[in-house]
Amino acid sequence: MSFLQVFRLATAVCATGLLAGSVSERALASDPVLQEEESDVVRLAPVTPHRVLVHDEAGQHAKDGRVYVVDADAGKLLGMVQAAYNANVVQDPAGKAFYVAETVWSRGNRGDRLDLLPAYDPQTLTITSDEVLPGRALVTPKKNDLSISNDGKHVYVFSMVPTSAVHVVDTVSHKVTQTVDIPGCALTYPWGNAGFTSICADGGLANVSLDGTRATVTHTAPFFDPEKDPVFEHSPTRRPDGKTWFISYSGLVYPTALSADTKIETNWSLQEAAGMKRAPAAESPFVVTWRPGGWHLSALHYASGHLFVLMHQGTYWTHKQAGTEIWELDVKTHKLLHRIPLQHPSTMVAVTQDASPLMFTTDRSGTFYIWDATSGKLLRQMPHLGEDLYFALAPGE
Amino acid sequence: MLQSDKVDTASQRAGKHGGAVASGPLDRVMERLTRLMASHSSRRSFAGRASAWLTLGSLIPVLPVSRASAAPVKPASKPKAPTPFAASAQTTDPTACNYWRYCAIDGFLCAACGGGVHSCPPGTSPSPTSWIGTCFNPADGRSYLVAYRDCCGQDACSQPPCLGTEGDQPSYRPQANNDIIWCFGTGALLYNCSTSVIVGNAS
Repeated sequence: MSFLQVFRLATAVCATGLLAGSVSERALASDPVLQEEESDVVRLAPVTPHRVLVHDEAGQHAKDGRVYVVDADAGKLLGMVQAAYNANVVQDPAGKAFYVAETVWSRGNRGDRLDLLPAYDPQTLTITSDEVLPGRALVTPKKNDLSISNDGKHVYVFSMVPTSAVHVVDTVSHKVTQTVDIPGCALTYPWGNAGFTSICADGGLANVSLDGTRATVTHTAPFFDPEKDPVFEHSPTRRPDGKTWFISYSGLVYPTALSADTKIETNWSLQEAAGMKRAPAAESPFVVTWRPGGWHLSALHYASGHLFVLMHQGTYWTHKQAGTEIWELDVKTHKLLHRIPLQHPSTMVAVTQDASPLMFTTDRSGTFYIWDATSGKLLRQMPHLGEDLYFALAPGE
Repeated sequence: MLQSDKVDTASQRAGKHGGAVASGPLDRVMERLTRLMASHSSRRSFAGRASAWLTLGSLIPVLPVSRASAAPVKPASKPKAPTPFAASAQTTDPTACNYWRYCAIDGFLCAACGGGVHSCPPGTSPSPTSWIGTCFNPADGRSYLVAYRDCCGQDACSQPPCLGTEGDQPSYRPQANNDIIWCFGTGALLYNCSTSVIVGNAS
């Protein structure tokens, strides 16, 4: 090929390219030009009854626990905050803030320990105060190791550093106002604006009344056998009046009016409510029957008095086994209302507190299931929301 | 039925070995003396009959009933497993959740994470504190006190977890609760895995 021929060919190729380019430009000219952008951050709308907090323990790397903020109506993840190492979370009853109790070390897995109680703005998910705690109990997260007073002014932090005690945090001044020793007892079940009750090793309760920087502690007589049929830590409290339904491993329910002078009523049986025999406890460990079990195994809808309990068929000592059904019971009549079968066994159940309540469960893969708590129908699910969903918190709890 | 079996067996042994089964020197002397007298006297003689009685008398100590009572006490049948976990527990593989000592373990098995049944993996520290469970060993029919001591300082082991719950009580009974991070006194209370250390006989 001569030089002249090469030149002509190159000219033809360039002309073709220019022509193609002009055609392309004409086609794009009809589309709007994308504008320059600024980075920003989403601000959430105020809290609604169906916006819930979901605790993820991330058990195989618990330093990386987190709390998800979920719009349960849309089945949408709205955001998340860090919740390091067997953390806990509690929400202001009016939805003005939520608090995460967490623990970190200055050099990751070593160095100085720091126990913290950051307060979060529920619309920006930013920290508004970052209180340093004297300590807190490091235990697989149990909801009642962290609780809040009805008016949202006191947060109660259960601690085992070095002995059983509760740190009372003033959420206005962001200071620990006092530490109440509760030897032989644990957990906090809040009542009123300045009181909580703890469960004790002897099968009784300790009632703590707070007055500024002072506390008065009273005790009930033991009412259950902690070795043969202890009550679950995740027994629900009705926030407005402090009524709590302590549920035992075997399925006995102890209605209890919490106060400085706590009253325990006659117990009733979940199984008898379903027309079955009472389930035996540790004295007959091989008997297979329907039993309560899981992690956060019960939830109460305050207004209706409907109690939701995860149930499974098993022997005694299967109290952490995932539920294959949810039993919905009326705490006034002690009657079983519905049995809701779970296609995916769950260790967690929660309900919202509005007039059209939603119910939540999970499974081994960390999927978050959203149910109509009135009809018992599954509405939607969020596949693999997290790894280990331990419990969910609804506004007003 | 078992009694009859014992009698039959003991009778066969007595018959097979004849008088050689006499239980003591005196028995043997008496037997030989009696046989000697019998062999040197008329079969109808008084001495013969008397010798027969003496022989019978000398053999009384070796009759089956006496033998059975003198035999070493046969071990009683092994106790039944007291709990459902114990009923299906195994004693050979400490990297599986149904190993007998894991009746109340909660978490990751150190035996599957670089350590052993009572050994922490390298790079971790054993907790000086723990809670105590009671597990039944199907191999010897005894129950043992087991300390579930955590190994600490590294984040959670990557292997599948196990959850034994027999005797597990809520955290207001810390001495019997498997949810507490038992890493007190080890520096950072980061939980890596759990060991199960025999600390006593509970039978």
